[in-house]
Amino acid sequence: MDLPFVKEAISQLFSKTSCAMYPAVPSEAAPGYRGRIVYHPDRCIACGMCERVCSGNAITRTVEKVEEGDKITLTFNLGSCTFCATCADFCSKDAIELTGDYHMVATKEEDLLVSGTFIKKPPVKKAPAAAPKADAAAKPGTEPDAPGCSIAPRDDGKPVCDKTKCVYCTLCAKKCPQGAIEVDRAEKTWNCDYEACVACGVCATVCPKKAIEM
Amino acid sequence: MMTIVLTALQYLGYILIFPGFLFCFVIGMLLCGIDRKIVARMQKRVGPPVLQPFYDFFKLCGKETIIPAAASKTTFLAAPLVGLAALVVLQLFIPIHGFSAFSGMADIIVILYLLLIPAMAAMLGGAASGSPYAGIGLSREMVTIIACELPLVMVLLAVGKVVGGDAVTFSFSKIANYQLANGSLITHASLIPAAIAMLLIIPGETGNHPFDTAEAETEICEGLLAEYSGAPLAVYKLTHCVKVLTLTSFFAALFLGGIGTGIVVVDALILVAICIVLTIVSISFVHAITARLKIEQVFKFYWTIVTGLALISLVLAWYGL
Amino acid sequence: MFKKLIEESTAKSPWLFHINAGSCNGCDIELVSVLTPRYDAERLGFKLTGTPRHADIVVVTGPVTSQSLPRVLRAISQVPEPRCIVTMGSCPQSGNVFRGSYSVAGPLSKYVHVDVDVAGCAPKPEAVIDGLALATQILKEKRAKK
Repeated sequence: MDLPFVKEAISQLFSKTSCAMYPAVPSEAAPGYRGRIVYHPDRCIACGMCERVCSGNAITRTVEKVEEGDKITLTFNLGSCTFCATCADFCSKDAIELTGDYHMVATKEEDLLVSGTFIKKPPVKKAPAAAPKADAAAKPGTEPDAPGCSIAPRDDGKPVCDKTKCVYCTLCAKKCPQGAIEVDRAEKTWNCDYEACVACGVCATVCPKKAIEM
Repeated sequence: MMTIVLTALQYLGYILIFPGFLFCFVIGMLLCGIDRKIVARMQKRVGPPVLQPFYDFFKLCGKETIIPAAASKTTFLAAPLVGLAALVVLQLFIPIHGFSAFSGMADIIVILYLLLIPAMAAMLGGAASGSPYAGIGLSREMVTIIACELPLVMVLLAVGKVVGGDAVTFSFSKIANYQLANGSLITHASLIPAAIAMLLIIPGETGNHPFDTAEAETEICEGLLAEYSGAPLAVYKLTHCVKVLTLTSFFAALFLGGIGTGIVVVDALILVAICIVLTIVSISFVHAITARLKIEQVFKFYWTIVTGLALISLVLAWYGL
Repeated sequence: MFKKLIEESTAKSPWLFHINAGSCNGCDIELVSVLTPRYDAERLGFKLTGTPRHADIVVVTGPVTSQSLPRVLRAISQVPEPRCIVTMGSCPQSGNVFRGSYSVAGPLSKYVHVDVDVAGCAPKPEAVIDGLALATQILKEKRAKK
C-alpha cells in the first residue's frame, strides 16, 4: 500500500490552516471581476445595443409615453445574466458597468433585478435644416467634394455620410441598434431615419472607410 | 428489601448513566467530534466545532422521518435501536481499570458477539428499507465484517494465550488482573504486532475511512443508510459514535490495562484520554492519509496484512516469547 | 428547552444535497470548492450527503432540462421536512443562455417553491457561502414554525 501523505498530514496538524474564514473576514473580489451590474440611466441613450448583444436575454427595455417625452426603463435581470460584460463593452456611452460586488443572494426574484429609468425628450424640431444636411454639397459655407473634410457634422450629433468615401458596404446598417440606416448597394444610396436615430455613434465606429461623421 | 432496591438503582445507574448510555452518548460524540476536527486539521482545514456530532444528532431528531413504501416498518424502525442497545450493553462489560459494572458475567466471546449485533442490525434495517443501494451496502458490510472478524479473533487468541499461559483465557477479569499485576500487555514484545493489528481493525469495525465501502456516500448513496432519515438516522449516527468509544476502550482494556489509580472517576477520565489518543491514531490519521478502498481491497488488506500481524503475535505468544 | 436545542442545532448542521439538472459543470465545481481547505464550509457544519433523505438543503444547478425535471422533483420530494431549496447560478432561475431551448423545462420556480437564489455565472464561493448561510436561517425559521 502506498501512503504518500503521512508526512504531510502530521506536519499540517501543527501548521496554520489555509482557510479564508470567509463570513468573519470579508473578502474582496479579484480586480477585473465581473459582478453586479450598475446601470447609469443619465448616460444612456436607449440605443438598444446591450439588449441586442445580451446572450442570456437578461435586459429588457420598456418605453412609456409621458408628457415630457418617452420614459424609458432598462431592467437587468441578474438571475439570467452570464456576466460576460458584452453589454458594457458594446455600450458606446459607458452607461453599463460590472462591479466587483458578488453578493447576489436573494429570496425573491425581484431582488435580483437592477433597473433604471430616464426620460428621453423628443428631438427639437428645427424646421428646414434636417433633411438637406445629409447631402454635403448642398450645405453652404463648405467646399464641396474637398478631400479630407468633405462634410459638415450635424449639430444634433447624428451621423452624416460622406458619399465620396462611402463604399456602401452596409456594415453601418447592420450594426445600427435602431435599424435607422438604410443602405442600398445596387442603387448606391445611404439614408438615415433621423427620427429613429439615437446618435450612439456605432455606425461611425464600425465604418471601414471612416465615411460617417457624427 | 432496601438493599434490593438500592442494588437495582445502582444497576440502573450503571446502565443509564456511568458506563452505560449517558457516558457512551457524551464521550462517543466527543470522540467523533475530535476525530472530525483532527482530520480537518490534517487536511489544512479549520474543521467543524468539536460539538458538531451533537448538533447533527439533535438536528436529525427534529427532522421528519420518512418510511419508504417498500419498507417493512417495524424492522426498519427497530433495527437502529437494537444496534445501539447492544453497544451500550457491550460498554458495560468492558472493565475500566478493575472497575466493571457487570464483572464476571461475560467474557470476550460475548463481546465478540455483541460487536456483531450493530452491524447485523444495520444490515437488517438496510434490507428492510427495500432500497437497492442498501442491498449493495449490505453485501459490502457483510464482507467487511468477515474481513475484520478473523484478525480480531486471532488478536484475542494471542492475548488470551499470553494471559492464560497454558490454558487460553477469554475472561476479561483475568486479563484486567494480569495487567494490574504485570503491567500493560502492550509492553509484552509478542503482543506488539497484535496491538498494531487491533489498531487497524478499529476503523474497519466502525466503518471509518478507508474501510467505509459499505456507506460510500458518493458511489452507493450512503449504502445501508440510504433510506433512513430523521430520528432513526440520528440513532445510527449515535451508534457509530458509540462504536468508536467501544472499540477504543476495548483496545484500552486489552492492551493498556493497569494504567490507573483505583478511583473510578479518575480512571474513567484516563480511559477517555486514552480513547481520544487511540481515535486520533487509528481513525483520524488513517482517514486523513488514505482514500476509500474497494471492497475486495478491504478484504485483501485484512486477510493478508492484518491477519499476518495477528498471526505473528499468536505464534510468538504460543512459544512464550 | 429541547425544542430550542433542536432549533439551534438545525442552524448549525445543515447537510447539502446537490442536484445537477443539466448544468454546464461550472456551478458544480464552485459548489465543491466551497468544501475545500480554502473556504471549508465544514467549519459551519455543512456536509455533502449522498442521498436526499439525509439532506436539509437542496442545491440545484443547471437549467432543469426536460429529461432531468421529473428526477429533480422526485429527489426534492424525498427530502424530509424542514427543507430548503437553493438555486445556484443563473440557470435554474431563468434558463440563462439555454432559455427557450426545446429541451429546457425550467425555470425551477415554475414547479417548486425556491427559497434562496444565488446569482452569478458561476457564483463566487463566497456568494455560495452567503446563500447557504441565508438558507440555514430560513431552515431554522421553518423548524421554529413547526
